[in-house]
Amino acid sequence: MPAIETTALTKRFGDVLAVDELDLTVREGEIFGFLGPNGAGKSTTINMLLDFHRPTSGSATVLGLDAQDEIGEIRKRVGVLPEGLELYDRLTAREHLQLCVEMKDAPEEPMAVLERVGLSEEADRKAGGFSTGMSQRLALGMALVGEPDLIILDEPSSGLDPNGIQHMRELLREEAANGTTVFFSSHILSEVEAVCDRVGIMSQGELVTVDSIDNLRERSGDAGEVELTVETVPDDLGLKVMDDVSDIEIDGDEIRAYCHNGEAKMNVIRHVDRAATVTNVVATETSLEELFNKYTGGGRDGLDDDTRELAEEREQPQGVAQ
Amino acid sequence: MSLQAVVKKDILDVRRAKLVWGVGLLYTLFAGLSFWGIGSSSDTDIYNALFSMAGIGVLIIPLVALVAAYLSVAGERETGNLKFLLSYPNSRRDVVIGKFIARSAIVVAAIIFAFVVGLGMAFYYFPSVELPNYVGFVGLTLVYALSYVAIAVGISAATSTRSRAMGAAIGSWFVLNVFWNFLPIQPATVIEFVADKLGTSVSQNFKDLVWVLSPTGSYFNSLSLVFPDRINGAQGGGGVGDPFYLQPEFMFVILALWIVVPLALGYWRFERADLG
Repeated sequence: MPAIETTALTKRFGDVLAVDELDLTVREGEIFGFLGPNGAGKSTTINMLLDFHRPTSGSATVLGLDAQDEIGEIRKRVGVLPEGLELYDRLTAREHLQLCVEMKDAPEEPMAVLERVGLSEEADRKAGGFSTGMSQRLALGMALVGEPDLIILDEPSSGLDPNGIQHMRELLREEAANGTTVFFSSHILSEVEAVCDRVGIMSQGELVTVDSIDNLRERSGDAGEVELTVETVPDDLGLKVMDDVSDIEIDGDEIRAYCHNGEAKMNVIRHVDRAATVTNVVATETSLEELFNKYTGGGRDGLDDDTRELAEEREQPQGVAQ
Repeated sequence: MSLQAVVKKDILDVRRAKLVWGVGLLYTLFAGLSFWGIGSSSDTDIYNALFSMAGIGVLIIPLVALVAAYLSVAGERETGNLKFLLSYPNSRRDVVIGKFIARSAIVVAAIIFAFVVGLGMAFYYFPSVELPNYVGFVGLTLVYALSYVAIAVGISAATSTRSRAMGAAIGSWFVLNVFWNFLPIQPATVIEFVADKLGTSVSQNFKDLVWVLSPTGSYFNSLSLVFPDRINGAQGGGGVGDPFYLQPEFMFVILALWIVVPLALGYWRFERADLG
């Protein structure tokens, strides 16, 4: 049984099609990253999973339960960090967690949860005085209450400092190790890259791809690039005709080659070394960021799995995706 | 279970809101002034002081109730707090009813506080205090207050933003209170005027019925249950021989409708709404 399954899920706000016939499956026990630029329809999708929004058409199940008819049961078994959650300014951190524990009939001690998210020192401070990062930690703690089978987090890292993000990742890994399914949305890619088993990328209301990070990389046709600094660039390099090299850029004394695999990178290095005096070599993997830009920057069309096309788009500015 | 949690959270939260206490204290202050003013004059009739409290009450109690409750749902909906409650095993119905119970408790506490202060002053200033009637008066005032809490929660559940909730709350206070029962031009006189223009006429009983259909009108009319006739002369209905719908007991039906209908309408809108 999938943890989350949507079938042709659609939400329309007036003229705007926020989510367009979404078919999404999140497997039990995985950490699933739900990616996309702001406005891609991620939050709307999550809002429909939690019955905050009613779908225009289509359906969704969470833990095998209907997201509308059986929302009460879903809420008992799911931990949620909603988008733009505001805490109660006049309640303390401990009071927040106390309420969560009571509402879920959970066995936890509020202090133990505060300990886990690193807020034990602030237990009796009112949330109104919290920084964004502290609020987010508390909200994360609140989502963990009651040993949920599934945790849904909408932009959990917003407002967290790098330390906080690291800590959150560890918490999510711990939860996943205990068999909890984790579903979280983000527009920050590094976070997803580091922690997710699979990612789905949303763009303009549609799911443009779902895959593991490794496969995504492979499918995009790039294993990354190799950058060589040489004393003088020879007139005829002959790199373009090499296998598995998609593109070459020359800028002053720097040669940059985009390769489909590691072997091609090595071939490029050997080839250039024979033709010129190499003073420096830097080889990098394609960052997920670039992948992401490719998938979302192209808009609704042109997102086919045509890897060549994707690779060729690289040089164009990617203004939209952030 | 989850209803309790919503109520508890809300009371925990709102009891720390200064505005609610500010308005509550204002009513206490006026209560004190009524007793002091009438008690220290040569007037020894406690019912004059109570009637004065009722007169002030119909202006201030709706404000206490509206201020205490108009943001209860809409405010949380706008800020996103509501997603917290609804991420846990609480239904939207739990939220509406829980808010009504919690805000009612706060308003009831504020009003009882004012009347306890008033009772202390009553024993000091007046030769005799008929406790059952005093308690009855407090009870009627509380039912009246609850009708406005229900109106405010209903408005709050039906609106999506703070500003709309505030507009609707002020509007309802003006229409149901000031316009309906106090302005020279009010629904009863408008109906009379229209009937007159159409060449027909409406009975005094019908005009009285229109007057008592507002929470304030029915509250005033119900007061003859606890006030002696000498005080009650000012109001229209409620006398012997009046139809049932003007009898003070019937006012409970009207007030009960003012509690149930706004909550039901508010919930009906809220249940279908997209949140956040």
